[in-house]
Amino acid sequence: MEFPSQLLYAQDQVLLALMIFIIMLGMGSSLTVDDFRAVARSPRGVLVGFLSQFGLMPLIAVSLSIVLNLHPAFAIALILIGTLPGGTTSNMFTYFSRGSVALSISMTTASTVMALFMMPIILSVYTVRFTSQLSADMRAAGAETDFVIPTGNIISSLVLVLVPVILGMILKRKSPGWAKTAEDTAGFMAVLVILYLMMTAFVRHGKLFLVTPVEVYIATIGLGLAGFFFGYWFSRLIGMYPLFQRAISLETGIQNGPVSFAIILLSFNEPVQSQMLWLAILYSTFIVMTSSIITLYFRKKGKFDWDTYKNIQIHNRLFGTEYVTRYPKGFLPKRLVKDPSQGTVPAAKKAYSVSDS
Amino acid sequence: MQNKSKDRIITDNLALLYREAASHYGDLPAFAVRQKALEWQPVSFRELYEQGMNLATGLIDLGVMQKEHVGLFSDNRFEWILTDYAVQFCGAADVPRGRDVSDAELLYIIEHAGIQVCFVETEKLATRLLRLRSRLPKLREIIVMDPSAPNLKGTIRLEDVYMKGRDLRKAGDREAENRIAAIRPDDLFTLIYTSGTTGTPKGVMLTHDNMMSQIRNLPGRHGPNDRILSVLPIWHVFERVIEMYTISFGGCTYYSSIHTLSDDMKNVEPTFMASAPRLWEKVHEKILLGVRRSHPVRQILFHIAYFLAKQYKVSEYFITNKQIKLKPTPLWKRAVLTPFHVIRWLIVLPWYGFFNAAVLERVRLGAGGSLAATISGGGALPAHIDKFFNYVGIPVLEGYGLTETSPVVSVRSKLNLVLGTVGPPIRETEVRIICLNSGKTLYPDPADPAGGIGKTGEIWVRGPQVMKGYYRDEPLTRAAMEDGWFRTGDLGMITHNDCLKIVGRSKSTIVLSSGENVEPEPLEMKLRQSRYIDQCMVVGQDQKFLGVLVVPELSAFRKNGTQPKDLAELSSLPETKTIIQKEIRQLISSSAGFKKYEQIRDFRILPKPFVVDEELTNLFKIKRHVVTDKYKQVIAELFPNSTSK
Repeated sequence: MEFPSQLLYAQDQVLLALMIFIIMLGMGSSLTVDDFRAVARSPRGVLVGFLSQFGLMPLIAVSLSIVLNLHPAFAIALILIGTLPGGTTSNMFTYFSRGSVALSISMTTASTVMALFMMPIILSVYTVRFTSQLSADMRAAGAETDFVIPTGNIISSLVLVLVPVILGMILKRKSPGWAKTAEDTAGFMAVLVILYLMMTAFVRHGKLFLVTPVEVYIATIGLGLAGFFFGYWFSRLIGMYPLFQRAISLETGIQNGPVSFAIILLSFNEPVQSQMLWLAILYSTFIVMTSSIITLYFRKKGKFDWDTYKNIQIHNRLFGTEYVTRYPKGFLPKRLVKDPSQGTVPAAKKAYSVSDS
Repeated sequence: MQNKSKDRIITDNLALLYREAASHYGDLPAFAVRQKALEWQPVSFRELYEQGMNLATGLIDLGVMQKEHVGLFSDNRFEWILTDYAVQFCGAADVPRGRDVSDAELLYIIEHAGIQVCFVETEKLATRLLRLRSRLPKLREIIVMDPSAPNLKGTIRLEDVYMKGRDLRKAGDREAENRIAAIRPDDLFTLIYTSGTTGTPKGVMLTHDNMMSQIRNLPGRHGPNDRILSVLPIWHVFERVIEMYTISFGGCTYYSSIHTLSDDMKNVEPTFMASAPRLWEKVHEKILLGVRRSHPVRQILFHIAYFLAKQYKVSEYFITNKQIKLKPTPLWKRAVLTPFHVIRWLIVLPWYGFFNAAVLERVRLGAGGSLAATISGGGALPAHIDKFFNYVGIPVLEGYGLTETSPVVSVRSKLNLVLGTVGPPIRETEVRIICLNSGKTLYPDPADPAGGIGKTGEIWVRGPQVMKGYYRDEPLTRAAMEDGWFRTGDLGMITHNDCLKIVGRSKSTIVLSSGENVEPEPLEMKLRQSRYIDQCMVVGQDQKFLGVLVVPELSAFRKNGTQPKDLAELSSLPETKTIIQKEIRQLISSSAGFKKYEQIRDFRILPKPFVVDEELTNLFKIKRHVVTDKYKQVIAELFPNSTSK
């Protein structure tokens, strides 16, 4: 297979860098210091999310690479994406899928910080098989060095990416109006730039779509879908309420695409860079579609438990925190009988467990 | 006797509904009353039932008989629903009216309905009623509802009646139970006085059967997780039916008010509500103001989002056959247009999806964000408002009905969301379109190739919601009802989507968008007193204010010095305008006894007089719909800020 190198021209790289900056700024603009405190308040959910994001997701990526027998460059890119922290996109999809946005934000926040430590470790463990394969290929082609994962560079690119996030948080403190605008623009920008990259790739390297092996398509679509699936059932197994299941599911499947662009551009070189980048672009495109479909499904499936949760929230907002909403017998499904507020209202938890015993 | 339908309790009468709701929904909140923005007082179905039984026992002790008419002059408040519970438990009917009832109306209603026991909301209203008492020999008791009102001589406090009843029930009094058992489906639950065309109010008799049929037949699925915000006056049957319906499915009604509406919408996050066009106009203005004040980038984003939503929805309506169809669409046209709409829909979809999520959701959050639907009634919803809300994703379901039909005749449902119509008739309801001139049935008409679809005439309604009749007015009842059919007096047609479209009114009453009813005839009579005005017609249906079309009196102007040769020339002269304007101001002034909403703000001079057989009947009465149709453009100029349907 002849894969084109120099996928991006210099101006594209500038554009991409700008996009990453704006998106990360937008992400920061949506965060507050309180979000970090919230992590401490709901350690269980964040822990489950952590296991799901840094445990399940990289495993899924490795398994997919092995099963589909991906080219090492693609495999490394896929595993890289599998170990990425979550982005703000997942918060938006969680919102519309009637999941816990608070947990989604907490998980995004926690994973972004944790990625600094987790990414290099996971990458070095899981990519051994593929780096050695790459090194063998390179030596066969006459190169004199081995291919190594540039751990140091990855960490510094992650740190670099966090700068606009912090700038965004400062912006939010100083001017909430501008922060809101940054948040909105970021989402729109992301869609535009990804579309632009797809289009230019199509125009310049028309055959790119054809020479991309079908396994790569399966891998990029499958990574997100498998993330959603395992995230959902893993958290169910642990005993999370549906509200949090939906958040964890989406957070697991949706990774922070722009961070992967930054890492690939800053830390990897040709001949692998273009391939890795292409896989990242494909993942970013497909994840928007699959998330949309999953969100519609969750939205429908979660209507009842969400409406109940919401009603209780509003009762507590208007009638006082001690108010307990008591539903008639047979109204609530089994999972919600013990606590229809899904653990969000302390008073409800107490009252229901007392009345049940 | 009672059974539970899929989502709501259905019983034979309201008292049983209240009882069943208490046993079924128990501790869930039934009503909530606002104390502060974030402090509301809930009352559960069970509490409300028990309190209602106590008050009912107190009322029975006061001498309230089965089927008696009990006055209830109050705006929305907790004591209103408590009183209604009690009155129903007595087997009696209430005669409701708002706090702003005039002295003349008080006198007329209390006398005509034979009210002996009367609830009044406030001290002020009690004082007014006490002054009129000498002219109301039958009135025995005045009960003041407001707990903070001082003890007025000649009145009793609701609390005292309640306490008495509670003590009696504690002692084992079960008379209320007997009363409930004795209620027949045909008994009145309310007697509502509407200001009719003739000037004196008409007493509309509504039975338990009428109300229960509405609860049974309203489309939609709701449940105990629904929150209903109440802003319309509860003494209007429209708001009342929504509250009764809410009780039947176990939802909670939150009593809001116009002043606190936008805050309450955000805090209560209603899922459902009854609303009037004026309310949506206000919300619409507020949203647009918010957009104009926002950051320029956000403004652009909003406009892009709205544009995309419009493209998306219009194509969606076409594909799902929900665009209004006054004429049948030929097959070839559909075949040609369908691919276009499908392609456009597909292209717009991802962009709409993004902007819908990022921008329009925030607009929806302004209305609480949880609104699954709102029913708009009590007047036509202006087309642009209708479109706006449905495009941004707040489904405003327009309905149609009158007090006489308790009230819902037809309403759009989410599955039948045809903009520009008031939806299909609800279950068990028949609609006919009757020709105004010949009296023939235009719809349904098996002889017509389209079955009578698309033909305009007077709307007649038959169904379980049609009133028992006008109280103590047999001639009026006979004039309005024939063989179970009620003549609404409104003009309409059935569209090719089987929805009802309201075209206008054959009765002359003008309903302003504020909900005020204006009788044009007295105004026109007054205007014709001017020597400069020959003929005129007051317009303003669904508008914010009144306007008038004027045919000037040529001879009067000639005497005045100007020499125009005909009306067309006269109407173009600037001094004509000045004179007519002066005349209108003088004649329709508050000093002449006209109310504020009856003032005429603008006028247009017509170049041609009204003539018999064209705009006038043989008896020289104006055919309002003909004039409205003929001078559509002129009327539109009078009300430039609203695009009425």
